[in-house]
Parts: sequence; C-alpha cells; structure tokens
Amino acid sequence: MAEPVFDLAAYKKVGMIQQRQKEYFAMRLRAIGGDLTAKQLTKIAEVAERYGRGGVHLSTRQGVEIHYVHHSNLEKARAELASENVSMGACGPRVRIVVACPGNATCRWGIIDTKEIARDLDSRYFGQETPHKFKMAVTGCPHNCAKATENDIGVMGAILPQWQEELCTDCGLCANICPTKAIERQEQVVDGVARHAYRLDEDKCINCSICTSSCPANAWTPAATGYNLFIGGTMGKVPRLATRLKKLIGDKEELYALIERSLRYYQANGRKRERFGHMIDRIGVEKVKEEILNGR
Amino acid sequence: MDGDIKKSIDLHGVACPMNFVKTKLALASLDAGDLLAVILDEGDAILNVPRSVKEEGHQVVKVESLGETFRVVIRKG
Repeated sequence: MAEPVFDLAAYKKVGMIQQRQKEYFAMRLRAIGGDLTAKQLTKIAEVAERYGRGGVHLSTRQGVEIHYVHHSNLEKARAELASENVSMGACGPRVRIVVACPGNATCRWGIIDTKEIARDLDSRYFGQETPHKFKMAVTGCPHNCAKATENDIGVMGAILPQWQEELCTDCGLCANICPTKAIERQEQVVDGVARHAYRLDEDKCINCSICTSSCPANAWTPAATGYNLFIGGTMGKVPRLATRLKKLIGDKEELYALIERSLRYYQANGRKRERFGHMIDRIGVEKVKEEILNGR
Repeated sequence: MDGDIKKSIDLHGVACPMNFVKTKLALASLDAGDLLAVILDEGDAILNVPRSVKEEGHQVVKVESLGETFRVVIRKG
C-alpha cells in the first residue's frame, strides 16, 4: 500500500503534528493564557472520543492536545472544534500560543491583568513567521509563575515600593523578608536624636509586592505599578534566561510598542533556526537593547 | 519591651499552616494590647505568618533575625 502523502508543513503550521505512528496526528489546540470554557472542554472531549482515543494531553505551554487523530479525520475534527470556537494552535518557526498566569483577576499577588495582555498579544502576533519558534508569556508579578524569563518575550507585573517614615513602626519585617535584600535599615543621629530609615536599593529590587503586602503599618506602599519586559529567554537544548529590556514600564502602549520592536528586530536579524536569545548573544546584549529601545 | 511580653512560643520546625494556627491560638489566650513572642523559621513561615497575622487585625511590632529563625513580637489587636 502506498504511503499517504501529506503536506506536513501546512499541517504543522496549524498545530497538526505527525506522530511517530505516521498515519496519526496530534492536534494542538489554542487556549490563550490557558483559558477554555466548559463548553469548549465538552467539545474537545467529544472530538477526542470520536476522532482520537478518548483522551487529551496537556502540553507544557497550557495547550490541550488531542492525540491519535487519523489523517483522514483531521479536517472533520477541526471543523467540529471550530463549531465551539476551539481553534488550532501552532508549531514550527512562528509565534506560538501565548501563556499567562491568572493575574490580578483572581490571584492575591497579581499586579496586572495578564489575560487581557495575553489576548492582545495573541490577536496581534499569533502564527506570524519568525526565524525560529517564538514564545511569549505574561506573568502577574515577580513570583514569575508563568516563567516570563524563560520565554522569547516575557511581560511581568511590577511595583515600585515607597517607604513612608511617618507610618513606619521600625519593626524590621521588611528588611528581613525582602527576597533580594534590597531593603536596608539605616540609623543616624539628627540633633542628638537617633532616627532610623529604611532605604530601597532600586537596582536590587525586583519589583515584587512582598514588602508592601506584608508591612504591618502600611509604611511600604506601591508608588507606581507597571510592566517589566524581558526578551530572549528560552529553555530547550541551549537554555538562556531572559534579558530585562526595561523595568517598570508604566504605559501599556509603550509596552506594546517595545514588544513590536523586539519581534520586528528578531525577524530582521535572526538567522534561520536561531532563537531570539541566541541572536541577542551573537549581536551583543547592550547593542540589541540600545537598538530596540532607541531605534535605528 | 521584652518585660511586657505575656507569652512566648517556639514554632521552629512547625510548617505552614500549623504555625499560623498555633500563633492564632496563642493570641486567643491573650487580651487586646498584650504582646506575644513567636520563633518562626526562615522561608515560608516568616513570609506568611506575619502577613496572616496582619489580616487578622494584629500588629507585628518587632522582627529580629536569629540566623535560620526569627523572633517576631506581635501585639494582639
């Protein structure tokens, strides 16, 4: 029997990936920021029963995959999924599904609306061609649950803590729990009176909200909230943690403009099968940052 | 301040959330305004217990590092 002929590249583009059992495919579905409705899940279950082997695989990037779909059923399965607005994911050298943590909608630590940003990035970039795979993650705060620093683009909610002397009771909790020891207690004698001050080292501060949420007297409060933007993170065969492009971006439009410039820079300068981060290392971190931030 | 401490408990080695439960029980035996001294482990304990105590309306008044543990003084709210 002749082997069936597939346009594998076309299938891969929409997340239909040939299995080692060559007649069968894995269907990678698109769940932006890991969100699916109960109706979508029901439909996925139906399709998995009908065309797969009755199960799904959860990918490492919040995706749902239906495995063991015979090639002759791919288009039928796809159409059925589409009837409940379940669309296909992506594979190969392009912008992949955007992952996100729950963000400030439900998480006590969340600083930003991660889901909204994930949807915006998805609608702007999903599926666009890039030199190699391109992954984006949006994480609500520096706890970094969505691993912003392990993605080609990582957006992280951030705050700038501010200390108010008149509220401080000098308990010392902040200096003891700051994860990067960015808060230091200082003492000085002014007019014969010993006074204390808690100083923030902004270079050491990772913009989390541990001090502001824990301070018993609310002497630490967020003076500003914004986005920390990371570029060039990757896991894979040659892992590389991301480079921070800019801290505490206050304006969402500026954030989006910098993401746009980063992606276009990679599209213009990345070599085939070269991840964004490895391109950055080849060209030079400071040069790339300068060119993305200030344009050429 | 130490002379005013009404009760002391050592929660070294007690994991979350039992360390907070034991702190709450100790506070329950005191009157409003009384001081409780608690020994808490570094890591999750020092991060979580003072924040939970705050949410219950009490106040952390002093935190001292003792190496791998902390001595936390709490005023009952």
